[in-house]
Amino acid sequence: MITIQSVSKAFRPSGGGPPNQVLEGVSLHVPASCLYGLIGPGASGKSVLLKMIVGLMKPDSGSITVDGVDVTQASELDLQKMRLKFGMLFQNNALFDHMTVGDNIAFPLRRLTDLGEDQIKDRVMERLAHVALTGFEGRLPAGLSGGQKKRVGVARATITRAPIVLYDEPAAGLDPVTSQKIFELLREEQRASGATVVMVSSDLDRLLTVTDRVGMMYRGRLIFDGTTHEAQTSEEPRVRQFVHGLTEGPL
Amino acid sequence: MIRVYSSPLATMAAQTTTPEKAAAPGALTTFLAALGGGFLSAAHTAGGMTILLVKILARLARLRLDGRELWKNLYKMAVKSLPIVVVTALFTGAIMVIQAATIVKRYGAEGLLGWGAGFGTLREIAPLLTALMISGRVGANNTAELGTMVVTEQLDALRVLAIDPIGFLIAPRFVAIVSTLFMMTLFADALALFGAAYTGQALLGVSPTTFFNGLTAGLLDFGDVANGLFKSFVFGLVMALASCHFGLATTGGAPGVGRAVNSTVVTSAAGIFVLDYLVSFAIGG
Repeated sequence: MITIQSVSKAFRPSGGGPPNQVLEGVSLHVPASCLYGLIGPGASGKSVLLKMIVGLMKPDSGSITVDGVDVTQASELDLQKMRLKFGMLFQNNALFDHMTVGDNIAFPLRRLTDLGEDQIKDRVMERLAHVALTGFEGRLPAGLSGGQKKRVGVARATITRAPIVLYDEPAAGLDPVTSQKIFELLREEQRASGATVVMVSSDLDRLLTVTDRVGMMYRGRLIFDGTTHEAQTSEEPRVRQFVHGLTEGPL
Repeated sequence: MIRVYSSPLATMAAQTTTPEKAAAPGALTTFLAALGGGFLSAAHTAGGMTILLVKILARLARLRLDGRELWKNLYKMAVKSLPIVVVTALFTGAIMVIQAATIVKRYGAEGLLGWGAGFGTLREIAPLLTALMISGRVGANNTAELGTMVVTEQLDALRVLAIDPIGFLIAPRFVAIVSTLFMMTLFADALALFGAAYTGQALLGVSPTTFFNGLTAGLLDFGDVANGLFKSFVFGLVMALASCHFGLATTGGAPGVGRAVNSTVVTSAAGIFVLDYLVSFAIGG
């Protein structure tokens, strides 16, 4: 479904100086209907990789194929068509400030489907109930807590029932109970829809309870790619230290 | 006028001023490098604004702009700017009469008061001051909004939702800003003349009828109004392009938004004055 081959990317600081290599020769394959967890320390290139999958950033070299389309070579028009297959939750939620919670969630349906306003309203209410925000549809994002914004972002990312969904830190800022609920909800939906999901999260305890496969990034390189069980039992020192949260080790 | 971007020449200039390298290149090299850096940044800005204009025109040609966003922005930019335009225009007209009062009194030229106030107001003062007011209120606000959307990934979210940000966000704002300035200038023309006429009556005892007779006696015609309106259209273009360009080019979080707003205000104001000169020169005042 998603195939990444030898992808590299460096950012050049605007004030000059050496380039910051954020991705270096990353290759991985996410099979269809797989819930893939992408883990790794901060600034290891996980979010950049997610943005590249959806065509928001171009790599310096390498290719990314999504459902047979090479994202790195696609025109803006082709990318627009391809993005109809995507739902995405951003790290900072990216809710539209000037829209209410209800309008934020309804926005993709209003823009991309022919559904009537009643049907859209029903879907929005159903999404809000799923993320435990019933009654919040009239609020503006500015009046929500960090966790509530995150849940609105999850509702917006999943409302079109897209076949590919990318989540960047879906549980950041949430309390443990809500966090667990969100992970279970996302897993439940993925199973029901058969969507291919790539999820970046620092909440490893919960992430590893829902993933099928896991990849670990470290300093721009993919240093591990395997099943969740393989990740949990890996003897690779960096993977072991990170997955088990050990203070002693190479990281 | 122009936002300073880093460039190889500017970097070279910075490097030449470090203590360990200060001895090698002279002041002339540093000056030339800075000059070249400034030129490159100006070319970068001009190029960016031109590319943005082409993208916007491509959407407008295919009618790919969001109607709801257009109406929303017209309300926000035009209707909500009315109070500031009313105050500016009324007092501009009044000031024009105060400036003319001495000459009018000395020569008893009450009949020419309308022409004197109208000539400068319609051709120059109303379009220029309205543009500066709208630039400060609408242009800066537009950049701040777009810049905030960029740094909070809202534009990326639109792209992921397969929505073209130029057609959805930028083209409606561009049309709204150009239309707003055009309409506000027309409105300001009328209000400034109204303010001038009643200030003439209060200060000089010149009746509004005499004032408007002077205005319409043949010394002024539709060409003078059109001259000012054409200028307002050109000012609107530069203001809309600058505010959208700098908003979309925002980087670096909240401080970046501040820098982008600053660049918009400075570029718009300088652009308005430069274009005012060029347009006045080209179409004869």
